[in-house]
Amino acid sequence: MEKSHTSLSSITWRSNLLALLAVAKKDWLHFLRYPVSAVFSVLQPLFWLTPIYFLGQSFATQGGNVGFSAYSGTEDYMSFILLGTVLTNYISAVFWGMGYSLKNEMDSGVLESNWLAPTSRPLLLVGRTLANVSTATLTGAGVLLLSWLLFGFHVTGNLLAAVAAAVPMLIALYGFGFAFAALVLLIREPNTLIDISNFAITGLSGSDFPVKALPRFLLPVSFAIPLTYGYDAVRGYLLGTKTILPIQYEVVILIIFMGVMIPAGYGVFKIVERRCRMFGTLGSH
Amino acid sequence: MSSLTSARRSIFSEWRALLAVANKEWIIFRRYPGWVLGYFIWPVLFPLGFIFTAKALGGPDGSSLPAFSQLSGTTDYAGFIVVGSTIWMWVNMTLWSVGLHLRNEQMRGTLESNWLCPVPRISVMLGASLSRLGVSMMLLIVSVIEFRLFLGVQLVNAGSVLPLLFIILLLIPSVYGLSLTFASLVIRFKEANSMVYLVRGTFAIFCGVSYPLAVLPEWMRRVSVCLPVTYAVRSIRAVGLAGATYRDILPDLRMLAVFAVILPVMGYVAFCLAEQRARRTGDLGQY
Repeated sequence: MEKSHTSLSSITWRSNLLALLAVAKKDWLHFLRYPVSAVFSVLQPLFWLTPIYFLGQSFATQGGNVGFSAYSGTEDYMSFILLGTVLTNYISAVFWGMGYSLKNEMDSGVLESNWLAPTSRPLLLVGRTLANVSTATLTGAGVLLLSWLLFGFHVTGNLLAAVAAAVPMLIALYGFGFAFAALVLLIREPNTLIDISNFAITGLSGSDFPVKALPRFLLPVSFAIPLTYGYDAVRGYLLGTKTILPIQYEVVILIIFMGVMIPAGYGVFKIVERRCRMFGTLGSH
Repeated sequence: MSSLTSARRSIFSEWRALLAVANKEWIIFRRYPGWVLGYFIWPVLFPLGFIFTAKALGGPDGSSLPAFSQLSGTTDYAGFIVVGSTIWMWVNMTLWSVGLHLRNEQMRGTLESNWLCPVPRISVMLGASLSRLGVSMMLLIVSVIEFRLFLGVQLVNAGSVLPLLFIILLLIPSVYGLSLTFASLVIRFKEANSMVYLVRGTFAIFCGVSYPLAVLPEWMRRVSVCLPVTYAVRSIRAVGLAGATYRDILPDLRMLAVFAVILPVMGYVAFCLAEQRARRTGDLGQY
């Protein structure tokens, strides 16, 4: 009797899934191969959070952080910033998972050979983010636990609603990731671009502070970035902060964002990929 | 005809080798315009996160600002933060570039062949450091100009320029000595990123980069006095923001001078030990 099996040479949903998991497994092996780095991925956010904790302490009055409360609706600035940090980890995981992984493969000289594999290239990119997103989940849990021990962390709101608001934002980020990966294929030295855009976009979206603290001329920019509503809605649900718009409206914005970004980012990536194949620039860096 | 080559070792040939490495690193740096662009954008972008957080903590009406002023001695939180963040950023960039120089060569597979050159291996490291020093000075100058233009923070004036330069000059040997130690540890333990995170995180937490040291618990303050960056940040803030004179910052200058002697020696010893070990174990090419 002939044994039925799925291989990568016949492209099916199952073979695509296998390819996706194979890429994610390879990245997990890389991650675990450097155990000190794995531990430091949990500790590293604390190196950022500790200075912010002490900065907050230096502004504390007898009545607590009243200045911060006037902006955000909560005196608990550490929980506010911690939630921002965890969400930022996911955002970076998608940015880095796609754009930076391409750069790594270019540098190692394996991009061309990997792309000869009989599987979709966007799928390979998504596979690279799977390990990053699962790592972000683990490190996020570790950061929250350590921060709870060190600084105190209080969440009183609706966790399920907060997750439901975060999911469309994270899916939409894959669209961003595709577009960014296309840019990496074009400019080939993306580190500065990734670092700066990641820092600027998350900063302007209010990852570390209420966006109302931004100067007036930057507020329209902040309000035009859908991530702003993602941070705001999650904090609104979990900490009961004052939101920019009613939370339901913010969730609708995030769903529209998801619907637009995925096809747009995918389309840009396909156009640039075709251009690279035409000019044969894939292997140069 | 007499000619000087690196094969006949002399101080001159070693100097030429050092300059050749510096030149090679400079060419690589210029080859990626994104890196150059980053040196113009980061100085003003990086402190903004802390500045806006501080603004939010101060409140819309500045109601929490007196608490900060009581601990830091100034209400100018933007000026306070940009000094700390710029020095931290310089140390961070030096650690990444000089500290990871050997590691990058290891990753590219060129470390072993470069170390076979008939020049002292320390010249190869110093060449990379020299190139980065030029870039770092560019970063500091760009930072000062951008702070004035975009954030309205004036650190340098006729009275403060010489004391500030003197502080930076005293800090340079410490930073590069530390990077040399760091580079040696990286080729020994290989997990470069984690070591950068540890060292830069230590400076961010203990050196008062974004907050006044007075807010730290006693045990943390004891750690902070063992780090050169603490003295540099404190004295630059005193000179640039409060108009302090040499006499006012003399204790900090003394400590910086001590670090300027100890840390380069420590770096050199660490490098020699790493070199000896690499020759003994033969694991230089592994990563």
